[in-house]
Amino acid sequence: MDSTPTTVPYLRIRNLSKKFGAFTALDTIDLDIMPGEFVSFLGPSGCGKTTLLRAISGLDVQTAGSIHQGGRDISTLPVAKRDFGIVFQSYALFPNLTIKDNVAYGLVSAGTPRIEIDRRVKELLELVGLPEQAGKYPAQLSGGQQQRVALARALALSPGLLLLDEPLSALDARVRARLRGEIRDLQQRLKLTTIMVTHDQEEALTMSDRIVVMSNGRIEQVGTPDEIYGRPATAFVADFVGKMNFLEGRLVTSKRAIVRGAVLDFSEEVPLGEGAAVTVCLRPEDVAVRDIGEHSDNRLSVQVGVMEFIGNHFATTLHASGTGLNFSADFSINAVRDLGISSGATIEVALPPKRLRVFAQPRSATA
Amino acid sequence: MATETLILPDRTAAVAPLRQKLGHDDWIMRGAVVALGLWLIVTVLLPLWAVLSKSFQAADGSFVGLANFQAYFANPALANSIWHSVWVSLLSTIICVLLAFVYAYGLTRTCMPGRGLFRIIAQIPILAPSLLPAISLVYLFGNQGLVKWMLFGASIYGPIGIVMGEVFWTFPHALIIIATALAISDARLYEAAEALRASPRRTFWTVTFPGARYGLISAVFVVFTLVITDFGVPKVIGGRFNVLATDIYKQVVGQQNFQMGAVVGLILLLPAGVAFVVDQLMQRRQLALLSARAVPYAPRPDATIDRTMLAICSLIAFAILVILGVSFFASIATFWPYNLTPSFKNFDFDMMDGGGWRSYFNSLVMAGLTALFGTAVIFAGAYLVEKTPRFRYARGFVQFLALLPLAVPGLVLGLGYIFFFNNPANPLNFIYGTMAILVICTISHFYSVSHLTAVTALKQIDREFETVSASLRVPFWRTFMRVTLPVCLPAVLDIAMYLFVNAMTTVSAVVFIYAPHTTLAAIAVLNMDDAGDVAPAAAMAMVVFATAAVTRAIYMLLTQGYLARAQMWRKR
Repeated sequence: MDSTPTTVPYLRIRNLSKKFGAFTALDTIDLDIMPGEFVSFLGPSGCGKTTLLRAISGLDVQTAGSIHQGGRDISTLPVAKRDFGIVFQSYALFPNLTIKDNVAYGLVSAGTPRIEIDRRVKELLELVGLPEQAGKYPAQLSGGQQQRVALARALALSPGLLLLDEPLSALDARVRARLRGEIRDLQQRLKLTTIMVTHDQEEALTMSDRIVVMSNGRIEQVGTPDEIYGRPATAFVADFVGKMNFLEGRLVTSKRAIVRGAVLDFSEEVPLGEGAAVTVCLRPEDVAVRDIGEHSDNRLSVQVGVMEFIGNHFATTLHASGTGLNFSADFSINAVRDLGISSGATIEVALPPKRLRVFAQPRSATA
Repeated sequence: MATETLILPDRTAAVAPLRQKLGHDDWIMRGAVVALGLWLIVTVLLPLWAVLSKSFQAADGSFVGLANFQAYFANPALANSIWHSVWVSLLSTIICVLLAFVYAYGLTRTCMPGRGLFRIIAQIPILAPSLLPAISLVYLFGNQGLVKWMLFGASIYGPIGIVMGEVFWTFPHALIIIATALAISDARLYEAAEALRASPRRTFWTVTFPGARYGLISAVFVVFTLVITDFGVPKVIGGRFNVLATDIYKQVVGQQNFQMGAVVGLILLLPAGVAFVVDQLMQRRQLALLSARAVPYAPRPDATIDRTMLAICSLIAFAILVILGVSFFASIATFWPYNLTPSFKNFDFDMMDGGGWRSYFNSLVMAGLTALFGTAVIFAGAYLVEKTPRFRYARGFVQFLALLPLAVPGLVLGLGYIFFFNNPANPLNFIYGTMAILVICTISHFYSVSHLTAVTALKQIDREFETVSASLRVPFWRTFMRVTLPVCLPAVLDIAMYLFVNAMTTVSAVVFIYAPHTTLAAIAVLNMDDAGDVAPAAAMAMVVFATAAVTRAIYMLLTQGYLARAQMWRKR
């Protein structure tokens, strides 16, 4: 968990639990967030990610456990005594105030002099790329612009921590993609410690330094986007992030399993003992079809099923000849063209041992 | 790395959950919730408790158990009123809801011409005291009535008059509810029905009717409650036909038998209470029918339907205008129907019983103060109930107290005010007989509907406003003044309007607690009618109506003119 153990964490969460009656929304969470880090809480709805954010912000205080921010114990402080800026999915801009007044809202109450307020608002609006819109009302702006104003407002008091609660979910795909980059860029320029709650894995993968994958009130894995995607720690993470084949089989040795009649080798050692039931995980895009000669392991002769054209690739189902093994695979348009892959054809593929992940069976709660 | 199947120590061991420290905002808001709770306890709960306890007491204040109730049921003249009240209310409700449904259908589901005008005409009865239709009916069908022959010898004094008057008076209430229910239907259902080739008749019974079902049920209960608790109509036109509402008045004002008045009040509380509970349940279901993705239904022109509906709606609108018109002409004629020369003789209220013009100005002051303070208390109260973080039980209790007046007939509330505030042992006794008690009683009487209006408006604004403000360390009251209040301004004005009009027209609650120097216009109508000065009574009712109508018109101009400019931000 400690990727940079030399520095002191900015946010330190210990033994955090939240119960709603008999329901446990958060189950003894431990988490450290480093200064200047962008961390995403990722998980399906009801996994506890929003509850965790609400505990950090003080909107819904935890049942037990502690939170320290910058060395200060904030576990039971009221919202107004904490130090964070927050941006919501709904923007929550005050509709009857101009953009300028929205951004200046916190500054006015803090007793900042007028000239200073004007300067700061101008600076903030430039920061989010909306210097011309100060006199307009929120309803006159597009969704993406409104969200940037909300961001400027959250940054006005220079908070130590920025909380983003599904900030992009209400926007359409194109704006969302652009704003992803802008927010990340802004966060890095300001070196601002940021937590984002999201159910969108693409968002988490593209924006974060680290991702906290959650399920049923617990942390499943904490890691960099690369780690989460490439080396999922649990079957849940493997299933939730990206597409994944779950192939059930039995261990033959600690590095080999028989999966529905096919023998598969993998690089990592699985210390479960011979005959143990395992699930072998394989990403569809990891199925190799080019330069098959270079692969010595896990080569299979497969029949190609229905080819589904997705746009930038083809998705298909492969049936390994002479076995009961079926799995889905993604082929690039190029590969399909060059190799003449078509529905019903028999081709050679390889499943690179380095790309296979193996978990103990039974994989519970398979959706 | 992450905990997957770590066996953790027994952490279920009972540890008290953490409590958040309270900030300034929390202290202020909680303090205000408690203050509002106390206010409602004093102005609603304790007066009701006074009615309840009085019904178990003898005249000297000693506890007599159910003796008063026994005496009540042993007296057939009194107990008969229950049956009278129930069947008259049922009949009025059925007629009123049927008429309102047809009228609402015409307004919302057809392209008949003049829908805007029909909508306005239908609102007329709300602007007048319930005494006005009764007086008009006397002029039309009474002993010297213009068209007495239309009753074929039957007497208007009694159930016939009560039902006619109540249908007129409650019509707009039923119409608003049913029209709303009809207006929110989903056009896609009709398109689906058409695509499946359902006949218009089948579409009506399978789509239209089920969609409006909860609205209809709600209208039934609202109208029933209004009728059974109304006092104005049966007082003027009931004759010897006794109902619960007039019994309370007779027991208390006529015979000074407070105990028996309390008993009748409790009996009256029963049907109103049941109606209240059922209505609350129904409204919850109606809301569930509404999905955010519904496509509003837009009626298409259909010559046959439009013409038929126009004819029916015109007939109903004509009846409303006739009833208003009769009071109008009776008040400006020198001596209806014998001398029709216009004169203002009947407006010379100072020459009659009832408090004269002074009662009209009292009414203006009372309605103005009620609108001012009522709106402030009710809107701020609704805000506190909605937005105070946590503090669940206190908020729930205040919410309950805020909705309680909806189930309490005005007469019962007024009765409670005499018992509670006229008690010499009560330190608040000093407000008895003042304008203040009339204002407080009227605010309490109309609290619930205003509260619900405010809550609805508050629920529509983003619930994260408070969070954002707290994170920016802006105190809640600043956000309330700068954002919440301006955004909710239309609802706030609605509440002020509602309180003003009702304070002008109400009779039931205040009839027990006005003093000689605080007589009110609507009560003057009652007293002049009682004294046989029917034409001046009609004149005063018309003055009340005109005041309410003018206020309403000013309000409409305001919302369309000033508000449109001040609320530029609503435009895209």
